[in-house]
Amino acid sequence: MTVLVLTSAQDVTADLVVAELHELGVPLVRFDPADLPGEVALSTEYVRGEFRGYLSTGGRVASVDALRSVWVRRPGGAAAHAEEPSAWLAEETDHALYGMLDSTDARWMNHPSAAARARRKTWQMRVAHRSGFPVPATLVTTYPAMARRFAEQYRHVVVKSVSGKSPGDPPMALPTTLVPPDADFSGVAAGPTLFQRYIAKRADIRLTSVGDTHFAARKTAEAGQVDGRFGDTGHSWQPVDVPPQVARAVERYKRHASLAYGAFDFAEEEQTGTWWFLECNQGGQFGFVELDTGQPLARTVAEWLAAEPG
Amino acid sequence: MRGQGRKQQMKPFAWNYARPAEQAPALATYSYDAALQLNVLADGRPAILDRALLAAAGTTTSKAGSATHFDD
Repeated sequence: MTVLVLTSAQDVTADLVVAELHELGVPLVRFDPADLPGEVALSTEYVRGEFRGYLSTGGRVASVDALRSVWVRRPGGAAAHAEEPSAWLAEETDHALYGMLDSTDARWMNHPSAAARARRKTWQMRVAHRSGFPVPATLVTTYPAMARRFAEQYRHVVVKSVSGKSPGDPPMALPTTLVPPDADFSGVAAGPTLFQRYIAKRADIRLTSVGDTHFAARKTAEAGQVDGRFGDTGHSWQPVDVPPQVARAVERYKRHASLAYGAFDFAEEEQTGTWWFLECNQGGQFGFVELDTGQPLARTVAEWLAAEPG
Repeated sequence: MRGQGRKQQMKPFAWNYARPAEQAPALATYSYDAALQLNVLADGRPAILDRALLAAAGTTTSKAGSATHFDD
């Protein structure tokens, strides 16, 4: 049975997993939905109750009956590389591809529907709280007065993107940033804005959860550092044990979210050492953690994908 | 509550904190090999064997502001 990997050709992190699948002797087909139609072709038949489907690319043909798992890693938009791309063609292609794949018994990492919901930060906050994580007070609003009141109440608050996307064309970076005390909140009316109580931290924690296996890594933060992704502190990621209560909360969260994979970000509080939930990236990167820590993340993803459907 | 009427003249609050995205560092050339289903370096070796290159280039690093990845 075959593993299907949906990602861009340039995705070198996916290469880490593909290499592990090769080593495990597991057949795989990799392509970018952006190349469908064109370099990738598909056909699905549903005749007299019998369902058949095929995908082909680069001389490989995969029967959808023989898919054991689908890894939705970093796929481009369906038909994005078509000779004459259009919104209509993208929608047609998306429905044809994912409708076909949804008709199989393959396991998903992660299913697109679950992934779409899991990307929403507001939803994440609620699920995280229900799962047992400490969650910093958070506000998403278009009301300047509410934003001002929230900032006054918590004194130190950060602003971050609601969607995780960057503004501008070409894209700008939008680091999580402390809001200055004299901020003018009138711009909140121009777009929903996410504010969160700032957690003074001594370290960033990245917990990568693959199936039932959890790997945590810790990177010491500089005093006053807000966004661990920006600014080189000279520290690297180090493996750290996962506290049992955190593991239980991770499992509850993933079960509720129907996720097979999740990369959780926490702030380790300066005073107490508490791991505060910041977000769960359903498609979060893991290559940088593996390179620093040596944790077998790619191998674990490959083994999950290689397991036979239950 | 009020304050919703003037939004056409304002930029969203978060934009005040945006900054130019870092330029991606120059990478050794690698390209996708459809037969291997892996990226390879100019000398034909799999790109993942050059881990120092990958770490230095930040190819696999999580960072907001990526043009192609919305969920780091």
